[in-house]
Amino acid sequence: MSETRSEARPETRSVGRSVSRVDALEKVLGRARYPADFSKPGMCHAKVVWTGEPHARITGLDTSAAAALPGVVAVLTSRDVPRNEFGLIESDQQVLAADVVRWTGEAVAVVIAQTEELAEQARDLVRVTYEPLPLVLDPIRAMAPDAPLIHAGQASNVMARWKVRHGDVEAALAEADLVIEAEYHVPLVEHAYLQPEAGLGYIDEEGRVTVVVAGQWPHDDVRQIANALALPPERVREIVPYIGGAFGGREDISLQIMVALAVFRTQVPVKMVWTREESMRCHGKRHPFTMRYRWGAKGGRLTAAKVELIADAGAYSSSSKAVVPGAVSVATGPYEIPNVSIDACVVHTNNPPTMAMRGFGTAQPPVAYEQHIDKFARALGEDPVSFRLRHLWDEGSIQPTGSPVPPGVGVKETLRRAASAAGWRQDGDRWVRPDLPPLPDGRRRGLGLATAFKNIGYSFGFHDRSTARVTVALDERGEPERAELFIAAAEVGMGVHTVLAQVAAEGLGLAVERVKVHGVDTTRTPNAGSSSASRHTFISGNAVMEACRLAMAQRAPGKRQVEAEYTFDSQRVRPTTDFDPETGACNPHITYGYVTQAAEVAVDPVTGAVEVLRMVAAQDVGKAINPLMIEGQVGGGLHMGLGYAIMEEFKLREDGRVRTRNFSEYLVPTTLDMPADLTCINVEVPDPAGPYGAKGLGEHVMIPTAPAVLNAIRDAVGVDVGELPAGPERVWRAMEAARASAASGKGVAR
Amino acid sequence: MDLKEVDVELIVNGRRHKLRVGTNLSLLQVLRDRLGLTGTKEGCAAGDCGTCTVIMDGRAVLSCLVMAFQADGHAITTVEGLAAGKKLHPLQESFLEHGAVQCGYCTPGMLMSAKALLDADPAPDRETIKTAMSGNLCRCTGYFKIIDAVEGAARKIGPASTARGAAAGAATGSSKAGEGR
Repeated sequence: MSETRSEARPETRSVGRSVSRVDALEKVLGRARYPADFSKPGMCHAKVVWTGEPHARITGLDTSAAAALPGVVAVLTSRDVPRNEFGLIESDQQVLAADVVRWTGEAVAVVIAQTEELAEQARDLVRVTYEPLPLVLDPIRAMAPDAPLIHAGQASNVMARWKVRHGDVEAALAEADLVIEAEYHVPLVEHAYLQPEAGLGYIDEEGRVTVVVAGQWPHDDVRQIANALALPPERVREIVPYIGGAFGGREDISLQIMVALAVFRTQVPVKMVWTREESMRCHGKRHPFTMRYRWGAKGGRLTAAKVELIADAGAYSSSSKAVVPGAVSVATGPYEIPNVSIDACVVHTNNPPTMAMRGFGTAQPPVAYEQHIDKFARALGEDPVSFRLRHLWDEGSIQPTGSPVPPGVGVKETLRRAASAAGWRQDGDRWVRPDLPPLPDGRRRGLGLATAFKNIGYSFGFHDRSTARVTVALDERGEPERAELFIAAAEVGMGVHTVLAQVAAEGLGLAVERVKVHGVDTTRTPNAGSSSASRHTFISGNAVMEACRLAMAQRAPGKRQVEAEYTFDSQRVRPTTDFDPETGACNPHITYGYVTQAAEVAVDPVTGAVEVLRMVAAQDVGKAINPLMIEGQVGGGLHMGLGYAIMEEFKLREDGRVRTRNFSEYLVPTTLDMPADLTCINVEVPDPAGPYGAKGLGEHVMIPTAPAVLNAIRDAVGVDVGELPAGPERVWRAMEAARASAASGKGVAR
Repeated sequence: MDLKEVDVELIVNGRRHKLRVGTNLSLLQVLRDRLGLTGTKEGCAAGDCGTCTVIMDGRAVLSCLVMAFQADGHAITTVEGLAAGKKLHPLQESFLEHGAVQCGYCTPGMLMSAKALLDADPAPDRETIKTAMSGNLCRCTGYFKIIDAVEGAARKIGPASTARGAAAGAATGSSKAGEGR
């Protein structure tokens, strides 16, 4: 159950309305096709030989028995890959491992056969022998000078370091009258989209290597496929049908190159479908972080924040060099703190590569900074709402990187609205939390909240571009009749096609049903960048809005059709810059969205089990283009955030092999784990550069959930759980430690 | 490897299909690969996610765990059989109205679990819906809209169309202020 309250804005006809999703009808009819639903006559089936070894040198690879099996068309190894490399930022991964494997999810060979069963049989006949290499699974240990190197030839396992220096943090800590220090850990987490990786490849009518896959960044997939096959990009085509969730996990290459390679080598259509076990083991994960926070206050005001972040990159670089800067840029929260020092590094291990996942580096630090903020409020005897409001950003506040925050700062309003809905009342400048009656079953009730923020769009000087083309059919009076929109914005489930249809409809004065959004085909739809960074509403929305404006400007008597294409480039509108290497000074991001969530929990004092009873979510989205879809995003964000808080952890055994192989072992919340009640509040503080003032929200809505739940657990049972997930055992151990500490007369740990 | 094959007759969405199938094939594989009914999705092939839920003889089953030969002679309903011609099932209408569809991959399984529930209990309360749907995972919605949509469909179907147990149950169902808007 939810409620939306939005502030009134100037009249719009399509934008701001909860229109039905443009793809919903096909989806309820079962007609929407996902990659595994595509077939071609005469197609073969491909299976992957995965290494299963976390760190080893390949000493032998014998494919003869597999190749000899009747019905097997080809067995491909590294020798069959023209340029055996891929990677989102650096091409440091092998399509098929040639020499050394560095994590269990690396592919060694691809078997192509006439049936799926034959391909499976042949896969099991491929013999690979290995010489084990020393394992490094702990990023802290991986940083030691004598640690075995994951990548020979590199000076150390530390991939990169960043720092921010703002003011004089040591002097401020020395002068502080309250200093609080703590260490927080967040684990390896799985995207767990419901659609396992799948793809169909074929040579199209123009001879192009074509793949039908669920990719979040279609044109970058094409770049990487073309590179690996040593083909010009125009000889490669990617078609993206419906996608069964992504959450960042489809931003990197999974099977795209393997499918393309199979087609390239055999020239027959080839289908590859991964099992859930393959999906879980063989795509990247969310970065685990160790976060050391030492903050100081003087006279009741935060004066110093010293932060150290250590992130686990896993075996390959993926987007780590973009994810960790994101974490650095939000490490002290949306708070004005005059003296800040941040040090961060990202380290190679033999764990799965870590990559984009909802938040892109901004989901981890709030687990630390929002618990830390609560600790200060508690130590100072102030309500957590009042304490936050005294420190949160306003328009023009200066970030630790020295630049002012982008315009449209609704963060305080998200806190006020969420706190009010959760039962707080305002008494002058003070906020007073509600009294919660005890639960009849003896469980302890607690209330907590957390505020967070995230950037929208690419950052640190990267050009965030999106190109949209619109074709508008005009009636005899020159008025738009219907429109077609061409833009390679992958619909991963978040509703981008509906939002862009609404923006186009608004710009053309049409009903949304009269705008057709074409599916992604890299040969027909122009490059819109990735479906990530919560960027499409802002970036692609601007591209569509301008393309519509240009099309309308071309209308002339007698014309029955107009067409326009426009490329939006963030750097021309809201330029960002990269960190100064010494001070970290920069203008990091295009714009921000802000979120506050409150959680009410029940904690069983005997078992440590946590139930989330009720949640409130207030998000500053700039402009709610489709309020109903926002509620859907918020629900999904809570789901993922709640899983992060109390359930989810991708576990490896001590030998580096995977323990959580399917949904029976990797637990995500079910209907019974979700709160009974959700209140959803849209705050609309517009960004003047956003389409109709809109910002974005896809990632934001999962970010404060975990710290809100942790703060509620603290409120319920008086213990801090510094390590996620806060499952029953961890909460129980924290309570036991507090009881033991109290019994020995040392006082309860804060 | 010597795989046995058997003759089966499946009644899917009211149509009879005589097939010779391997004894190692699941109902899910036969629906998708042999009958081309790709509306039913595979999420885990281990009975953990509910994505492949279909209705067999009135009960929601996980088609990845039912072997094709076990379905011999049984009546199966998949998502493709939910609408009556061009007329959407009230559940489909309600999923559209409540915004219960996002990526859509769990949607067919959700619809079939909900149909089995409403066929057996036309006026379930919210807790009953949550329990009945607890075997269907969704990663996009947080389930709120899906539960709202099932409640909404129960109201649409209403007491008139279901003879059994309507009085008390339906009254409870329609008085619940479950729906967001």
